[in-house]
Amino acid sequence: MIDALWKLTHALGWSVHLGGALVMELVWRPAQEGMPQSQIGVACQWMGKRYRWISAFALAAIGVSGLAMLVDVDRSLSLGGAYGRTMLLLVMLWVSLAVVLAVLSSSAHPGLHARIPSGASDEDRQAARALVARAIARMDRLLRLELGLTALAALVGSSLHAGGLW
Amino acid sequence: MQVVAAYLHVIGVAVYLGGAIVMEFVVGPAQKAIPPAQAQVMGKRTADRFLILAWSALGLILASGLLRLWSLNNESVLFGERLWSTEYGRTLLIMVSLWTVLVINGSIITFVLRPKLTGKVSPGLTAAQVQTHQQSQIRAASILSTITRIDLGIAFVVAFLGSALGLGGLERMF
Repeated sequence: MIDALWKLTHALGWSVHLGGALVMELVWRPAQEGMPQSQIGVACQWMGKRYRWISAFALAAIGVSGLAMLVDVDRSLSLGGAYGRTMLLLVMLWVSLAVVLAVLSSSAHPGLHARIPSGASDEDRQAARALVARAIARMDRLLRLELGLTALAALVGSSLHAGGLW
Repeated sequence: MQVVAAYLHVIGVAVYLGGAIVMEFVVGPAQKAIPPAQAQVMGKRTADRFLILAWSALGLILASGLLRLWSLNNESVLFGERLWSTEYGRTLLIMVSLWTVLVINGSIITFVLRPKLTGKVSPGLTAAQVQTHQQSQIRAASILSTITRIDLGIAFVVAFLGSALGLGGLERMF
């Protein structure tokens, strides 16, 4: 029972991470077309707050359940074998995803919070809007990187059942 | 072949289950942060796009699931007595049944509820007819929300059964 629960936790973690990144890319990004930049900024702020917590929780679930399953693994984890090398690559991808999430949370997401003071001049307003537009573009690039890394990690993880990639 | 089948299956499950979780807990609530008119546009666009993704995911789950069975030389389970007589077969049968429920619910959402929600009021209607139309839209939105949550629960159970299948079947775990 506990083995199945670890597997479920692991599958759920990857599902949420990969599914979330795909929804952001294939659902939310196209939906932004035609929406005012200011509203996109507000919606991105709102979603970013929740998304980073859900992503962090998913990554933690993947890490904990992955370690728990690793304890019972009956294959050699030596880097001389395909299984060990693939596992190392998977761990590196997990670390990269954690770094991307940290950058999203500490730098890209706060950049969306630029506020325009009520007495600001037109120039200041334009500058603040340009800052938000740049922050949205940076966020988009990071989300694409996250999607690419997660999709690659899913491929690498899927290969473990067959003994590893190479 | 095993790796490709497993990868496609993971992608399908991730899009359906992970996507539904993010739509329900991230994208949906964000609509409350923007003005109602924009929120309506955003809600329609995101829901329309997610429906396409969800249908693609359901198709991919079925196709990759069959490919997985075939790549593991287990395809005979589907067509013989083993579907009833083995733990693996029974677990698989429950999964396929729940997948069918997801397809039925998806059809109700796509072909019954969404058209009701997106239907516009004709110019010549009386005030009473407009009110009836609005009430039917509110009812449709409420049913859609309930079905979406039921689907999320079913997808969660299917994922658990899939994990159990990797260990030989559900009954082996208890």
